[in-house]
Amino acid sequence: MGAAWAGGSEMGRGSGAPTTTIRNHIRTLRFAASEMTQQHLAERVGVSRQTLNAIEQGRYAPSLEVAFRIASVLGKRLEEVFEFVESVPGT
Amino acid sequence: MLPSYEERSVWVQLVSLCVVFAGYMAVSISMMAKGVLHLAPYVAVFMTAVVLLVVMMVVGHAAALLFGKPEKADERDRQIGWRAESNSSWLLGAGVFAAITAMCFGIETVWIAHVLLGSLFASEILKLALQIVYYRRGMDEGVSGGGVGGGV
Repeated sequence: MGAAWAGGSEMGRGSGAPTTTIRNHIRTLRFAASEMTQQHLAERVGVSRQTLNAIEQGRYAPSLEVAFRIASVLGKRLEEVFEFVESVPGT
Repeated sequence: MLPSYEERSVWVQLVSLCVVFAGYMAVSISMMAKGVLHLAPYVAVFMTAVVLLVVMMVVGHAAALLFGKPEKADERDRQIGWRAESNSSWLLGAGVFAAITAMCFGIETVWIAHVLLGSLFASEILKLALQIVYYRRGMDEGVSGGGVGGGV
C-alpha cells in the first residue's frame, strides 16, 4: 500500500518530537476513477488544479471541507483517501 | 506546471513593486544627497512612482491573462496570503519604531518619511516574496493543515 501513497505532508518536525504525516491516495484513486484528470477533479472540488496538485504531492494539507469534497467526488470515505501516520524519528 | 493565476498575479506585483521601489529610492537618495530636505519635491516623485506602479500592474496582469483565464482564489491562496502577511508585517513595525526613534533624535522629517515609506514597500515586497516561496515549496508544519474548518 505504501507504494501507492501519492503524497504526504509532515507536521511537527521538531527534533525528537513525534512526526505526524498525512498521506493521501488521490492519484491512485483518480486513475481508478476512469483516469480522472487533476483539472476535472479540481473543478468538481472547487479548487485550482495547482492546489489539487499540491495536495496530491503532500505540499498542502487541505481543510476538512475540501478533504470531504475530494472523498465525495472520488466516491470514497475520507479515511480511504487520506491517511494519518504517526512515527517517532529514529524508529 | 503553469502557475495559477493567483501566483502569476503575485509575480506581477512583486516585479512591479521592486522596479518602482528601486527607481523611487534611487531618485530620492540622489535628491537627498544634493541637499533637498523639504518633502514637497518628493511628492511629485512619489506620485510618478504610484502612476508607474499602476501602469505596470495593469500591463502585467493583462500579460498574465494570456497564459490562462483567472480562477477564483481558493483556500490555499488565502492561507498563503495570510501566512505571508503574518510573516512580513514585522518589517513595517520595525520601520515605524525606527521612525519614532529618529523623531526623538530630531532627525530631518524627510528621512523619517522615507524610513516609513521604505519599510512599507519592503514589508510588501517581503510579503509577496514569501507568497512565492509558499506557492513553490509549500508551507511549514502546522500551517498547511489550518484551513477554514480545520485541516486534514
